[in-house]
Amino acid sequence: MLAAGEGRRVGHDTNKVLLPLAGRRVFTWAVRWATTLPHVSHVVLVIRDGDQDSVRSALARELPDTAVTVVTGGASRHESEWKALCALRPAIEGGETDVVVIHDAARPLASAELFRDVIAAAERYGGALPVTEQPALAPLHDGGAQVTDRTVAVQTPQAFRAEPLLAAYTAAEREGFVGTDTASCVERYTDVPVHCVTGDARNIKITFPEDLFLAERLLAKADWDLSAPESRVPHRRRLAHGERG
Amino acid sequence: MSIEHADLLCERCDRVTEHELHYAGRLLESVRCTRCGHQLSMTHRALVPAYLHDLEQRVASKPQRLYHRALRDPRGFLRTLPGAVLRQPAKFVREFWSLVRR
Repeated sequence: MLAAGEGRRVGHDTNKVLLPLAGRRVFTWAVRWATTLPHVSHVVLVIRDGDQDSVRSALARELPDTAVTVVTGGASRHESEWKALCALRPAIEGGETDVVVIHDAARPLASAELFRDVIAAAERYGGALPVTEQPALAPLHDGGAQVTDRTVAVQTPQAFRAEPLLAAYTAAEREGFVGTDTASCVERYTDVPVHCVTGDARNIKITFPEDLFLAERLLAKADWDLSAPESRVPHRRRLAHGERG
Repeated sequence: MSIEHADLLCERCDRVTEHELHYAGRLLESVRCTRCGHQLSMTHRALVPAYLHDLEQRVASKPQRLYHRALRDPRGFLRTLPGAVLRQPAKFVREFWSLVRR
C-alpha cells in the first residue's frame, strides 16, 4: 500500500492520504477492504518520512486488529515499491506469499471485489491490473491519425505473482532502472503476461479537492461498505437487528 | 467544525497547493486553496441531508466502536468514558450550529 506520495511538498506539508474521509483516514479505507479477503496475509504500508507518528496512531485507532508493517518510502514510486518488496522478501522467498498486490493509498474506494478480481487474475495469468474504458479519449499517432485501439485508464490495485515481481525489481535495482509503474518494470524484466480486469469507476484517486467530496458521497451511497458482496449487511438492517457496526 | 490542511492539485493554479479543509462532524463542508482563494463548498441543501445520513451511520456504528475500544484497553476505556459522554452534547451542538449558521 503506497502512501508515501510523490515527493511534492508545499504549505503545511500534509499528506492527503492522512486526511479524514467519512470518519477514517483516507489510507485506512482500502486496507480495510483488502483485509476482509481471507487470503490476504501481509499488509505493508509505505509511508513518507515524517508521517510515522500520524500513521501509527491512525492504524491503532482505525485498524487495531490488522497487522500492518510500516516502512518508509523512497523518492519515487518505484523506490517505494522496491522497499515494500524488500519487506516482503522473506515471505516471498519462504513461499508464504504467492501474489503481491500493489495499491495506491490515495484510492480509498478500491473494493474487496476489485482486490479479489486482480488477485485471481494474477494467480491465473501472472499479472493483472484494473482498467476502465475511456471512449471519450481519442489517442492520436504523431502524425495526427487516430489510433483505432481501445483507450483505457489504468487503476490500482495491480497484482503480480510474487517471485517474478521480486526478480524484476531486483534486476531493476541492479541496473538502476526506475519504472513509471509496477507493470512497466514487470514488462521490462519478465515475460509474465499482464492481464486487464474490469476496473471500477468509483475507484477514484484523490487528487483534486472535489475528489474528496465525491469519495464521501460514493462511500455514503455504498452504505460505507465496500467489502465483498456476500459479507455485506446494510447498516440499517444491522441497526434494526441490534448488530451494530 | 474541524479544520485540516493538505496538499491537493488546484485546478485554477494548475499545481499542487496547500488547501484548507473545513469539516462539519466528519463530513467535508468546504475546501479552499490558500494560494488563489478558490473555494469549493457543499450547498446547504446538500449538506444537511448528507449530514443526517452520516449521523445515522455514526450512531449505528457507535456501540460496536465502543465495544472494540473497551476490549482493547478496558482501563483506559473506563477512565475516559465519562468525559467522552459529557463532551458529546456540546460536540453535537457545535456541529448543528456550524450547519445552520451557513
